[in-house]
Amino acid sequence: MTGEAKLIVQGLSHHYPDEYTGESVHALDNIDLKIYENEFVAIVGPSGCGKTTFLNIIAGLLPYREGRAMVDGVDIKGPGPDRGVVFQEHAILPWRTVSRNIGHGLELRRTPKAETQRRVQEYVDLVGLSGFEDRYPHELSGGMKQRVAVARTLCADPVIMLMDEPFAAVDAQTRITLQDELNRVVMATEKTILFITHSVEEAAFLGDRCIVFSRRPGRIKSEIKIDIPRAERQWKDMVNNSKFTDARDEILGLVRSEVTSNDDG
Amino acid sequence: MTTADPAPVRRKTLRKRLTDSRAVQLIILTIGVFILWGIISAVIERPDRYLPSPLTTLISSADLLEKGVLISFYSDTLTRLVIGSIVGLLMGIPFGLILGLNRTIADMFYPLMNFFQSVSGIAIFPIIVIWFGNSSTTVMIVILYTSFFPIAFNVLSGVRSVPMRYISAARTMGASRFQIIRDVLLPGAMPSVAIGSRLSIGFAWRAVIAGEMLAGQAGLGNMIFAGQELDNTAQIILGMALIGFTWILLDHFLLRPLESDTIERWGLVTR
Amino acid sequence: MTALTDFSISIQRRFGRQRLRKFILGLIPFALLIGLWELNTAFVWFDPVEIPPIADVWEAIFWLQSDCPGFMAAVDGHNSCQLSNNILSSIGRVILATVVGVPLGIGFGILAGMNRTISAYLEPIGVFMNSVSGIAWIPLAVVWFGVGWETTLFIMLNTIFWLLFFNTMMGVRAVPKVLVQGVQTLGGSHLDAIRQVYLPGAMPSIITGGRMAMGFGWRALIAAEMIGGDSGLGFMIFVSASEFKTEEVFLGVILISIIFLATDRWILVPLEKWTIERWGLVWKPT
Repeated sequence: MTGEAKLIVQGLSHHYPDEYTGESVHALDNIDLKIYENEFVAIVGPSGCGKTTFLNIIAGLLPYREGRAMVDGVDIKGPGPDRGVVFQEHAILPWRTVSRNIGHGLELRRTPKAETQRRVQEYVDLVGLSGFEDRYPHELSGGMKQRVAVARTLCADPVIMLMDEPFAAVDAQTRITLQDELNRVVMATEKTILFITHSVEEAAFLGDRCIVFSRRPGRIKSEIKIDIPRAERQWKDMVNNSKFTDARDEILGLVRSEVTSNDDG
Repeated sequence: MTTADPAPVRRKTLRKRLTDSRAVQLIILTIGVFILWGIISAVIERPDRYLPSPLTTLISSADLLEKGVLISFYSDTLTRLVIGSIVGLLMGIPFGLILGLNRTIADMFYPLMNFFQSVSGIAIFPIIVIWFGNSSTTVMIVILYTSFFPIAFNVLSGVRSVPMRYISAARTMGASRFQIIRDVLLPGAMPSVAIGSRLSIGFAWRAVIAGEMLAGQAGLGNMIFAGQELDNTAQIILGMALIGFTWILLDHFLLRPLESDTIERWGLVTR
Repeated sequence: MTALTDFSISIQRRFGRQRLRKFILGLIPFALLIGLWELNTAFVWFDPVEIPPIADVWEAIFWLQSDCPGFMAAVDGHNSCQLSNNILSSIGRVILATVVGVPLGIGFGILAGMNRTISAYLEPIGVFMNSVSGIAWIPLAVVWFGVGWETTLFIMLNTIFWLLFFNTMMGVRAVPKVLVQGVQTLGGSHLDAIRQVYLPGAMPSIITGGRMAMGFGWRALIAAEMIGGDSGLGFMIFVSASEFKTEEVFLGVILISIIFLATDRWILVPLEKWTIERWGLVWKPT
């Protein structure tokens, strides 16, 4: 990969007390990871493997003690605008219109109005929401809401965009459209992205690199490079792309062995 | 999902666990309030008039208890509440049902009910006094008047909120109008009956206190009112504490469980 | 004839057939009630001291205002403008208590909703305060502040504050955590989170609390004016009743309801509808 590492994680482990028993739960174990500029890294793993915990730590929403995590060489201490997060669902503010949601990050930074307006319009167009600028979230479909969420994060211009199963809550048809669109958006904006998902297909379709997490405590089990130019990544072509299907099957095997390695799954 | 709360990684220390416990917090709070109360009463001038110390209040309550007045006041007030609530509910539930079952009757009486609900029981109190004098009847009328509306409105909306598909389903099975009411609408309105009853009894409780105070009828309300006239502030505080705790106990151990049980058992109104 | 049909059609168009039907049906009981009231005046089933004639209630307005030198004097609160003074006195207290009590209640409610430790200590106090009910505070308030406007203001404030405190706290707790996290990851501070997430997120609950506070507050205020006040509509009807001026009592009661209904219908209900329609938010107590 070209360029410098945007995100550097060294020897990150995490324990937290169980809500009911108070016993310490070992969630993450010794994670080492580097994400380079303009790279799309997807993390897959069985549910409960600690991938969301990992993302929350990078987002700064969860304090950590063991190991280091840095963005652009600066240690992560709490949430900040250098790391934008797209949450699973319902994270855009219901009392703000589409354009005010998208411009929220700039507004928080006190960007001049004209500049904000210009940028907001740019991202509204990019995610295909033209004509819906003044609608409120409850008037939008689930897919449109997630488009707003992506645009809101991009518009704040973070160093790295963190996505936590952003398409898990929309229907299958919409998901495919959104995945295609995300590829297009990534190409246009050249963002660095960390993407969490439990869908193997999604990971193989979107990621330049796929990281497979083991069951709890979450470790990096293996890493698969998927060497398909982003311009070629479209669902209508991918089904016949052997690079994609091979990678998908390999990841599927790894995740499946993880799920069945112990009796429960 | 492993979205942990951002609690520290280390096991909670004993101190932290103690201060996080609800019971301990309540005890700390109670002690704190009493200490603060004691300090204020020690600092101010004429504490007997403005805020007698906790000890003085305790002594004067023991005195009232010994004379037997406290128990008789207490039972007077509770009797009024029980009778008032039961009669109020017995009037309000059928009325709400009739309105819920018949749209024409509902359209007819809804505005009138709305108007009279906003004429609070306390505001009509002087009129009732002119009609019935400062008597126990006056207090009871005010209680009934205040407790009637919340239950009636809730039953009405409860019957209305039963989903149409249940009614249609019963129809397709050949249910008569009466059977639909008995098997679908009444059970469907049960959660609202429970919610409305709790509301109504709460309103009745306030009305009992206000009514006793204004009409000078023996009871907790009159006890605090007399406390003010007799310059016996300890008696006022004792009465207020009794009023507050009685309601907390009643609500916590009787009304709230009853309400949630009914909603759980009959809660087919999910929407 | 055609003119009448046209008129009826135009009215039906303007209001809608269903709404017109509702309106007319709703009018019937009022008309009946007023009719019975008038009949009572004619046949004297009940003594005028018990149920005064409608005309007397109407005239009471002018009788009470008879010494008032004019509109400007009424606004100024001239001594002899009895009715308008009492109305202004009640409304003034409601406004004052709202202006002070609502921001305080919301402020503490937000703090308690965000912080478990604060709520652990404030919540039980709130539960107790709401259980004592505003009315039971009147005797103690009279001891503390004497008979007068301080007592009535205190009673109203006390009622408003705790209801808003509670509803704001519940509303803040019900705001999804992910909304706050979203603003934090966009670079928002704690203050931003309060202003842009907690406050609007709790708004439906706050408005519900406001409606409750108005309802309970008005009742407590009227009671306080009766027992511990020296002005206001509650004071007026209490004094009039003791002098058996029933027409003044009826007038006062009607005025109290109209003022209360008007604030609820024209201020609070529209606010509630606004948050629902615009933001698609409804407060569902859990």
